[in-house]
Amino acid sequence: MNTRNIRALMRKDIALFINNRFYMLLTVIGLVCYIGLYFVLPSNVDENLSLAMYAPEMPPVFNQLTSQPGTAVQIFSSETGLKQSILDGNYQAGVVLPSDIMEIWNHGGIPVITVYYNSGAPPEVTTAIVALVKELSYAQTGQVLQFDTTGEVLGNDLLGAQIPLRDRMRPLLVVFILLMETLSVASLIAVEIEQGTARAILTTPLKVSDLFLAKGILGVGLAFGQGILFMALVGGFNHLPLLMLTTLLIGSFMVVGIGFFLASVTRDVMSVTGWGTLVLVLLAIPGIGMIIPGLISGWAKLIPSYYLTDAVSRIANYGAGWRDAITNLGILTGFSIIMFWAGMVILRRRYL
Amino acid sequence: MNEKSIVVENLTYKYGTLLAVDHIVFSVGRGEILGFLGPNGAGKTTTVKMLTGQLRPLAGRALLLGHDVVKETAIVKSQIGVCFEQTNLYEQMSALENLNLFAQLFGVNKFDGVDLLKRVGLTGREKDKVANYSKGMKQRLMVARSLVNTPQIIFMDEPTAGLDPVSSEAIDNLILEERQRGATIFLTTHDMWEADKLCDRVAFMNQGKIVALDTPRNLKQRYGKRNLIVELMGKDGRLEKQEIGMDLPSTPGVVGALFQEKKVVTVHSEEATLEDIFIQVTGRRLVE
Repeated sequence: MNTRNIRALMRKDIALFINNRFYMLLTVIGLVCYIGLYFVLPSNVDENLSLAMYAPEMPPVFNQLTSQPGTAVQIFSSETGLKQSILDGNYQAGVVLPSDIMEIWNHGGIPVITVYYNSGAPPEVTTAIVALVKELSYAQTGQVLQFDTTGEVLGNDLLGAQIPLRDRMRPLLVVFILLMETLSVASLIAVEIEQGTARAILTTPLKVSDLFLAKGILGVGLAFGQGILFMALVGGFNHLPLLMLTTLLIGSFMVVGIGFFLASVTRDVMSVTGWGTLVLVLLAIPGIGMIIPGLISGWAKLIPSYYLTDAVSRIANYGAGWRDAITNLGILTGFSIIMFWAGMVILRRRYL
Repeated sequence: MNEKSIVVENLTYKYGTLLAVDHIVFSVGRGEILGFLGPNGAGKTTTVKMLTGQLRPLAGRALLLGHDVVKETAIVKSQIGVCFEQTNLYEQMSALENLNLFAQLFGVNKFDGVDLLKRVGLTGREKDKVANYSKGMKQRLMVARSLVNTPQIIFMDEPTAGLDPVSSEAIDNLILEERQRGATIFLTTHDMWEADKLCDRVAFMNQGKIVALDTPRNLKQRYGKRNLIVELMGKDGRLEKQEIGMDLPSTPGVVGALFQEKKVVTVHSEEATLEDIFIQVTGRRLVE
């Protein structure tokens, strides 16, 4: 490793990066927009109760629910449909009344009402639902009727830890910021190959490994720097800052590794941009899934960026620690090494 | 020129099943300009790539300044300069920035880029972006870049291809200056006139093999025929052309008779060109 050569190449690449208006503008505008977007998103949670309800035989007074202030109620025709809708994040909770509720009450019994909660529903929902059903049963029968509730949380149980939308978007935004460097690094490499400058500099004592190292360090530095800036501005380091920094660093390795691989399998800057956009869309899917619960399922774990988004989300939003994040970080590191290795081998064989 | 700068022994390279360079053997002396001539696909560029450490030979070896290109690549690279046929400069950087980058990569501590640019006639444009240069200016900068480390061996691939006469002459003069300094020049070209003018020796390469290697004069003597072209005024006032071999015993008598019996308008000697010799040796043209 020749540090003098690596420094010279990095200085050159920084100068070229700054002089390249397209990528410079893309980086600055992207960063500003993502930070701006975070701050314009709501910082509080919605206090309205969105309720789903299913009853094979609906007591007439329960229909009044739809006109309760602060409550949005949708009557479902099946329990399965109600559960799926809650799982998809359309409702905070769903109430399922037993088919013989009126008969049980008439005989002085205590019916059991099943309540399904969305994983992000606040704890007050339970109290609110109980109060609501008591009020309606009183209105129905003219006396306070007893009932029991049984609850089930659909999805990961986040009861009591509801996250504002902008914080839920934080992992998506930071992953977007990092992902931009995939295109930058792939383009930097593709330009060197397309214009023949890589061949020219390799007729000097510069080693191919030093060339890759210079590109890698610059790419990781740019991604990591932007990631830190963003997370610092949006409060992403409030919990275990060292863990978050480690996650961002490994994430930066991952995006640069993908950039190397992208450059190795494409022909020129145009194809880097084309294929790169497709790759970015794919890698963004897990982040989108973070803000829309229920959007993605198990298959998203096949996308490597899932482990980055998930780790950032759990650390920043749910107070996850080293032990919780270590598996994700391990998978990310392994994937990044494979991408770097594959990219370098293919680049060497094809061009250098 | 006794000291050998380049020694090539059975150098061989294959692209798949295609034998691009077939066990070539030659050497180049210190301070010599060797012209490497051949049509496209003859194996010239592959040879240069192997000599400059860009390709690993399949067989054989090459010694540059006594160092094995494969085993001592870094040492070899530090003492050579390469000027490519295709422009491959950092176009968004200035000429001076391009040269400074290469000086850093070569580890040259005291480097005067302005002076080098002056040598190639780019004074006053040092800080301009290369993207704004003309083709001739870019090519001159390519030549300047190959001289950044004051190399002992310079590989030049078609350095004057497609250039205007002024730029071509500037580069030719620079090549001669470098030879004067003691550098060995390995000049790959299609241009037989340039090769004839600049090269101490020329090598003809065809289908991966060196089919002839000698000084232009020796090649012409060996393969060419020397003629006298005599233009005579005919009886009807029209010019008649007559070709007389210069090396025949009867030549003096034939020429004397022409001057006595006919009205001689012009007399020119005609030598075989390197192109003629190449065709004679290989059955192919240099540019097809």
